[in-house]
Amino acid sequence: MKKDKIIVALAGNANVGKSVIFNHLTGLHQHVGNWPGKTVEKAEGTLHFKGYTIDIIDLPGIYSLSTFSIEELISREYIAVENPDLVINVVDASVLERNLFFTLQLMELEAPMVVALNQMDMAKKKGIKIDHKKLEKMLGAPVVPTVATSRTGIYELMLASVDTIERGIEKTAGIRYGEEVEARIQKLSKMVSKLQLPYPVRWVAIKLLEGDEQIEGRIRQLDPNISFAARKLAKEIEGIHGHSCSTVITSERYEIAGRIAREVQQIVPSTKLPMRERLHAVTTHKILGYPIMATVILSLFFAIFSFGDYTSQLLSVLFEHFHSIYESLFGTEILATLIWGGIIEGLIAGITIALPYLIPFYLVLYFLEDSGYLSRIAFLMDNLMHKIGLHGKAFIPAMLGYGCNVPACLGCRIMETERERLLATFVVTLVPCAATSVIILGLVGAYVGFQWALLLYIIDLLIIFVLGRVAFKMLPGEPTGLIMEMHDYRTPHLETIVKETWFRLKEFVKMAFPLIIVGSFIIKLMEVLGLLKIIAYVLNPITVVWLGLPAITGITLIFGVLRKELTLLMLLTLFKTEFGTADFANVPGFGPREMIVFTLVTMLYIPCISTIAALVKEQGWKRALFITFFEIAFAIVVGGIAYRLLMLTGM
Amino acid sequence: MEKRLSELKPGESGVIISIQARPNHRRRRHHGWGFQKRLEDMGLTPGARITVVKSAPFHGPIEIRVRGSRLAIGRGMAKRILVRVEK
Repeated sequence: MKKDKIIVALAGNANVGKSVIFNHLTGLHQHVGNWPGKTVEKAEGTLHFKGYTIDIIDLPGIYSLSTFSIEELISREYIAVENPDLVINVVDASVLERNLFFTLQLMELEAPMVVALNQMDMAKKKGIKIDHKKLEKMLGAPVVPTVATSRTGIYELMLASVDTIERGIEKTAGIRYGEEVEARIQKLSKMVSKLQLPYPVRWVAIKLLEGDEQIEGRIRQLDPNISFAARKLAKEIEGIHGHSCSTVITSERYEIAGRIAREVQQIVPSTKLPMRERLHAVTTHKILGYPIMATVILSLFFAIFSFGDYTSQLLSVLFEHFHSIYESLFGTEILATLIWGGIIEGLIAGITIALPYLIPFYLVLYFLEDSGYLSRIAFLMDNLMHKIGLHGKAFIPAMLGYGCNVPACLGCRIMETERERLLATFVVTLVPCAATSVIILGLVGAYVGFQWALLLYIIDLLIIFVLGRVAFKMLPGEPTGLIMEMHDYRTPHLETIVKETWFRLKEFVKMAFPLIIVGSFIIKLMEVLGLLKIIAYVLNPITVVWLGLPAITGITLIFGVLRKELTLLMLLTLFKTEFGTADFANVPGFGPREMIVFTLVTMLYIPCISTIAALVKEQGWKRALFITFFEIAFAIVVGGIAYRLLMLTGM
Repeated sequence: MEKRLSELKPGESGVIISIQARPNHRRRRHHGWGFQKRLEDMGLTPGARITVVKSAPFHGPIEIRVRGSRLAIGRGMAKRILVRVEK
């Protein structure tokens, strides 16, 4: 059967060059979104090749097809149920054994497969020679050696892929386990074959023996006898081997992977220590590692922020000019004001705040990840981050949060499980961003005293620590310690990094900008309609009674949703019209105590609208709203307590 | 000599004997299934040969070599891996 449209999925471990191959194949014809209802990224693209339109799906980088993470579940469901015409398994030739472990699992899923033996250059550097013809014979699937970063073998890979599809689905042979296990797989397969399932029979039998929760649950619903029998058979294997059945199967699978790897590769390790090993040693050194890390991170962040700040300022000035032109053209009628203040300013906020920081941040993040340095930072920082229930990897987004929460939220995708992503995202939104720092330093630092500003930062750290721990304990799912591959250092592929940045940015703009614009339009509309005073009045019990702040702060706190530094500017304007003074020191009823409470509340009360948009994009509406409302409530509680404590100290 | 992986010194090697499930885990049947499965999926199965390269300061993670690749593993997880030390 010849069809014009075929679907090919890319699967493989993390950091094997999968995304480089994906970008070579799809070029600019790609789309990055999320898997439906999931917080996992889905990259799709199209390629025209030999008269076919080929849809390429880049599956998440994973090490196994069990149920450890949502990525693993998504990948195996996709391969088993959606049945792509072909799976290209991208394999890192320089770490063959571990990669083949995954290949074997793909074979068990009975997916038609072509293996891209990637990073052949790296393997060569490590003194590894691989007989790919022999590997092909042993796996029963075409193997194409590639060096994705230099495009070597990509054309041949696609030729082999199309050829495999045209020859019709060739079921790979699968692997044979030890006799005790094999006999029981056969027995169970017979029972399973009577059921109607979207998965291969043998695979289901193996998963049942492994005690796979998802498959077991499904089978139990269909026929409890089978799941009962599976448990009995698994117990028998346990009795023979003295390890759990799942352990026995995984270990045998690894043994087979190891055997294949040993048969097809020859290793002649070089006698002198290569550069990348020396670099690894020094960057993970127990003393030297830290100053190096501090220097790298600080200079990268400095670069991000100076670029962001400069561009942001430049754009602001530019839009300022536009504003005067706009006013001279359309006047300051209500409608014109509404359109400018509501729609265009929302757009400007998005462009001037998010983008200047996002672009360099994405570039830096992908650079760190691709080169391998990110995992070294995680290695060094894991212990510290563990105190708040996070991994070392979360250090980068957390640090970045001090600049802007938006990229920090988006950066949390580097965390491995959904639980960790949510936790990291939550913690990151509590970090005071640059705009919050403007308020902390500009109000408390300038008018109350520097030590008070410092105290606020410390309080914030304490809050992060406490809430992080609480969330860590409360979140469902199993907490996992760190276990992470530290792949060899390598030069990142610039083109891939730029493309990755570009498509994520595009996705963010599509997702976040409508939200930012609608948000600012609503607030502007309320202002134009004179609703703000009423809202401030309604908020009186909270702002005046509970927090002890002047009533008009209610208005500024609403505006702070758009951009946090607006609270300070608005406050200044409102005080000016109310009391005729633009100096915070002379405002009646707004002394040091109120300043501290106000800043504390602003610091904690809500992620700004761009951050909320990022939250929605990464975590979905429900969680985004939950985090938002939780933080509002939390800020109010903390603010009220702080107010009373400050009263007690006689401030 | 049997030791926990967390007790191995840099440069020492051994073969994994077993992985202990999380002791105080609340799940009904699968005691620490996810944790153990994860370690095994990363190649830390009984019988696998493992070498400790170094450990991060302040009781941080441990760098190990296993199955031709380099892994970082948290100390809490390393404590649950029982290893027969090779001389």
